[in-house]
Amino acid sequence: MSGVIDDYVSALRRELDFDPALARRLASEVEDHLRDAAEADPAWPSADAERRAVERFGLGREIAAQFAVDAVDRQARRTWIALGVTVVVTFVAMRLRVIWLDDDVLSVAPLIDRYAFIAALAVGVIAWFAFRRSLAALAICLGGLAASIGAGIVRADLFANGAPIHVLLSAAGEIVLIGVLSFHVIGLGRRLRRTASLRRPDHRRMAQ
Amino acid sequence: MLGMEAEMLKGHLDAIVLAALEAGPAHGYAIIETIKQRSAGTFDLPEGTVYPALHRLEQAGLLSSAWTTPPNGRRRRVYSITRAGSAALGERRKAWGRFSQAVDTALQGGRA
Repeated sequence: MSGVIDDYVSALRRELDFDPALARRLASEVEDHLRDAAEADPAWPSADAERRAVERFGLGREIAAQFAVDAVDRQARRTWIALGVTVVVTFVAMRLRVIWLDDDVLSVAPLIDRYAFIAALAVGVIAWFAFRRSLAALAICLGGLAASIGAGIVRADLFANGAPIHVLLSAAGEIVLIGVLSFHVIGLGRRLRRTASLRRPDHRRMAQ
Repeated sequence: MLGMEAEMLKGHLDAIVLAALEAGPAHGYAIIETIKQRSAGTFDLPEGTVYPALHRLEQAGLLSSAWTTPPNGRRRRVYSITRAGSAALGERRKAWGRFSQAVDTALQGGRA
């Protein structure tokens, strides 16, 4: 064996580092494919047979780029679902705390807890249409949501001593959800960056 | 293959892959060979292009896959079309029939 196929598969695996499970699975599949193709070549066994099989398969970077685009699409769907669940749960938790707790409405944390979510939603919806569905609108909405959740976290600290369990659970639920949402947003950002780097023309030229 | 034809083919690759699996389960290399044979060599995309399509179709539930090890052979991932995949293929065939007829008519200046 000349190692042409091994080198190609190793390089492809590195290009797919944004999804380790996919990289493992595809490396195995592609290796099988390339060995079948090389064995079907009249010059087998030789480095030329392996090289032709690799050439017919295509550039690893371009194949990885197609997977990356699909990965961004899936991750974006997961992120929107996480965002939707977080918005609904935060709203419910905020409303329940308003009902459960006898707050001094002039204090800062209860005030934010009471109104930040509604203000964020209102600003987000207005900005969404005003900025023609731009990322700025989404950022404003997420900022308000984070402020609302932050208020919940601050309050969890304030009423940790003696607060009823259901009140604590409402804050804990928000904290868990913001963690899940952050995980998905970070994952989306990572995949977007990887997709951009794979599709950048200078990388294509270097790979050729 | 010319660049324009390759781009046109990419838009229909999912349906072509589904059609290649209609006759029975197959692994990636066999799917590519089937596509090449059926098109008499006209569809000559880089072979690796089929794998993102296979993965996408599997994620959509139109294909399923499993590792198999034939006697005296290499372990391979074999793909099968699902019931949803067969239904989707039927829909794509109808859509393609309408589309190709419309393009034929347009290209012939309404003479068809």
